Amino acid sequence: MIKVASSRHWLWFSSLSFCLVLLPLLLAMGAFSSYLGQAQWLTYMTDAYTWRVVWFSWWQACLSTVISLSAAVLVARALARRQSFVGRWLLLRCFSVALVVPSIIAVFGIILLHGKYGYFNQFWLWLGGQPQSYVYGLTGILLAHVFFNLPLATRILLQRLDAINAETWRLSSQLGMTSVDLWRHIEWPHIKGVLPQLAALVFALCFTSFAIVMTLGGGPKATTIEVAIFQAIRFDFDIAKAVYLSLLQMGFCGFILWAGLRLGKPIDMFVSLETSAKNMRPDLKPMLGIVSDSVVLLLATLLVLLPLLAVVIAGINPAWADVLLDLRLWNAFGNSLWVALSSALLSLLMASGLLLAQRHWRKRYASAALAVEWMGSVILVVPPLVLATGLFIGLSPHVNVFAINLYIVVLVNALMGLPYMLRVLSVAYLKIGTDYDRLCSSLGVQGWHRLRHVEWPILRKPVGLALALVAAMSAGDLGVVALFGSPDIQTLPLLMYQRLGSYQSDAAGVTAVVLLGLCLVIFVILERLLGGSDD
Amino acid sequence: MINFKQVNCRLGEQNFCYDLQIQLGQVVAVMGASGSGKSTLLNLLAGFIQPQNDTAQILLGDERVDLLAPSQRPVTSLFQEHNLFAHMSAFNNLALGIRTSLKLTVDEIAQVDTALEQVGLKGLGSRLPKQLSGGQRQRVALGRALVRRKPLLLLDEPFSALDPALRQEMAALVKSLSQQHQLTVLLVTHEPRDALDLAETVVFIADGRVHWQGPSQDFLQQTDTHIKAYLGQSC
Repeated sequence: MIKVASSRHWLWFSSLSFCLVLLPLLLAMGAFSSYLGQAQWLTYMTDAYTWRVVWFSWWQACLSTVISLSAAVLVARALARRQSFVGRWLLLRCFSVALVVPSIIAVFGIILLHGKYGYFNQFWLWLGGQPQSYVYGLTGILLAHVFFNLPLATRILLQRLDAINAETWRLSSQLGMTSVDLWRHIEWPHIKGVLPQLAALVFALCFTSFAIVMTLGGGPKATTIEVAIFQAIRFDFDIAKAVYLSLLQMGFCGFILWAGLRLGKPIDMFVSLETSAKNMRPDLKPMLGIVSDSVVLLLATLLVLLPLLAVVIAGINPAWADVLLDLRLWNAFGNSLWVALSSALLSLLMASGLLLAQRHWRKRYASAALAVEWMGSVILVVPPLVLATGLFIGLSPHVNVFAINLYIVVLVNALMGLPYMLRVLSVAYLKIGTDYDRLCSSLGVQGWHRLRHVEWPILRKPVGLALALVAAMSAGDLGVVALFGSPDIQTLPLLMYQRLGSYQSDAAGVTAVVLLGLCLVIFVILERLLGGSDD
Repeated sequence: MINFKQVNCRLGEQNFCYDLQIQLGQVVAVMGASGSGKSTLLNLLAGFIQPQNDTAQILLGDERVDLLAPSQRPVTSLFQEHNLFAHMSAFNNLALGIRTSLKLTVDEIAQVDTALEQVGLKGLGSRLPKQLSGGQRQRVALGRALVRRKPLLLLDEPFSALDPALRQEMAALVKSLSQQHQLTVLLVTHEPRDALDLAETVVFIADGRVHWQGPSQDFLQQTDTHIKAYLGQSC
C-alpha cells in the first residue's frame, strides 16, 4: 500500500472543521435539553392553536409541492419538446436567477403584482371589477413557493428529459408514436424515478420556509411552525414554547429527510443544462401541441419574470436619491456583503475539512467516512430558525447576543449552506483522491504545489459555484437576522422588510433593487471569476 | 431496387452526396472510415435526416420513399444500443412494433410469440432488458423488426458491442432471418469479416460519397488507395 499522505496537517484542519460544525449544534441541543424540564408539555400538546399551525405547515407544503411539481412537469416537457423556441434562453436564465433571488424580493414582487393596489387589481378595476385582496394568506404563500420551486423542479426534470438518447427518439419516430405514446413509453418512465426525491426536496424547502410565510402569512390562520418559533421568542418571550416547537419541527424534518432517503438517491439540485443535438421527435407538428406548449412556456416565463420586473420598475421612483444618500442603506449593504462573503468562506472551510477527512478515511475507516456524509444531512434536520433559537437560548446567559448578532448570522448561514457545499463539491473532491493520490505521491507533489497545480484547477469550478450559491443565499437571508435583529445592526433584507412593513413603498423599491443587484453581482462574480470560463 | 438519386445533405462541416443503386433481397455491407458517412446513408433512408436539395430522390422500386414520414417508410432500424425501452419487458418491446398503444389482439400476441421464438428467446418475453445479455437484447430488437414486416432492415453496427463469438452467432441469425423473410439488409460495419461472412455486396464510402461498390469477395483485393488505407494495407 502506498503511503498516501506524508504529513498530518490535514488532520488539524479537519478537526477544526468538525468543531466548527459540531459545537454550534451541540450548544443548541444542550440549550434545548435544559428547558425540557420546564416545558408544560400537556398544555402545549393540547393547545388548539399549535395544532392548527402544525396542520397549516403540512397543508401548505403539500399544496406547494403538488402545484410546483405538476407545473414543472408541463414546463419541462414543453421546453424539452421545443428546443428551438426563441425564448428558451431567456426562460432558462430567469429560472437560474430564481435560484438566488432573496425570498423577500420575490415576496415584494408578488405583492406588487397581486396586492390590493397591485397591477392585477388595477387591471381588474379598469375592467370594472372591485379590488380583491387575496395575496395575504395561503394564496400568496403558494404563489411565492411556486415562484421558487417551479424553476428548481423544472431544471431537474428538463435535465432528465434532455438525457434521453437520440436513438430512442429515432426509434419512436420510426414506430410512429403519438404524443401520448411518447409520454407513456419514454418521458414518464424517464422522470418518474426522480419525482419522489424531488417532491421530498420541494416539500422540505416549503415546510421550513420562513421569510415568505412571515411576510405573506403570519396571521393566526396562516402560520407555520418555523414562524411560530420566531413569534414565541420575539413576541411572547416564551422560550419553553419555542423549544417545544423546535423539537416538533426537528422531528418533522427528520421524518421528511428519512422518507426522502427511503425514496431514492439524493438528487443534484444544481444541474447544468446543456442542450444536446436537436432531438427528432415525431410529435412536433400537431397544432394542439404547439398551442399548448406556447401557453405553458408563456405562463412560466410570466410567472418568474413579472415579479422581478415589477421589483425593478418599483425601484425606479423619485425616492432613489434620498434612499441612496441614506447612510443606513450603505451600512446595511456593507453588513450584507460581509455576511455573504464570510458565510460562504466559513462554509467552504467547514466543507473542505469534512471532505478532506472523508477522502483520507474512506480507504480504511468506511464508517467514519460515512459519518462525515451524514453530518451534512443532519444539518437539514435542524432548520435555520431552530438552530438560531438554540444558539439564542444557549448563548444569552453568557453574552449579549444582540451585540454579536452578525457573527451568529454568519455561523448559522454557513451551516445552512453546508449541505449545498458538500453536494456541489464532494464529487470533484473525492475524484481527486481516487484519480491522483497515487500519482501525486509517486511524483512527490504535495503541500502548496499540490494545492496549486492539482486541486485548484480541478476544484475551481465547483468551488466557484458553491461559494456563489451560499454567498447569494446568505446575502438574502431573512430569518436568522430577524431573530437576532436589533435597531443598530441592519442588513439589506431586514431593512427591506421594515420598509415593506411600514408602507414606505418607494424606499422599499429602491432597497429591493439594491439587494437584488447585490445578490446577482455576488453570484455572477464568484461563479464566473472564481470558476473560470466554460472552455 | 433501392435508388439514391443525387441525395445531398450537410452535417456540421461535412457534405454528403449519394448516388447509389442496390438490388433487393441481398445483404449489403456499408463500409468506410469513421465519419465518412455510413450512418448518414442509413439515416437518410430511414428519414431521420432530410436531404437538403430539391432534386434529391430516394426510390424503392417506383415509390418516392423520401417523401414519407419515418413511420411510413418501409424500413426497420437497429442501432448499436438503446434499441429497447429499459422499463418494458421483451414482449412489450416487440409489441411496440405492431401497435404503440400496446393493446394487441389475440392474433397479434401470437405473432409476437412467434417472433420471440424465431430469434431464440422463447420463454424470455417477460424479462426486462437489464435481465438480458447484450446479445439477447439485440435479438429482441431483431424480433421487433420481424413483426414490423418491413422489407428493408437497416443495421447500424448492431454487433460492435458484442464478443467475437456472439457476433458470429448474431450474424448467422441475421442471415437466416433475412433469407427466410426475404429482407434486404443494409449493414453498417467496421469489420471486414462481417462483410465477407454476411454480405453479397459491399458499398464503400469515403468523404461522404459512394467510392466503390461491388461483390464482397472482390473488396479485399481492391488496389484503390482509399480502401487500402482503410484496411490498413500499405500502398
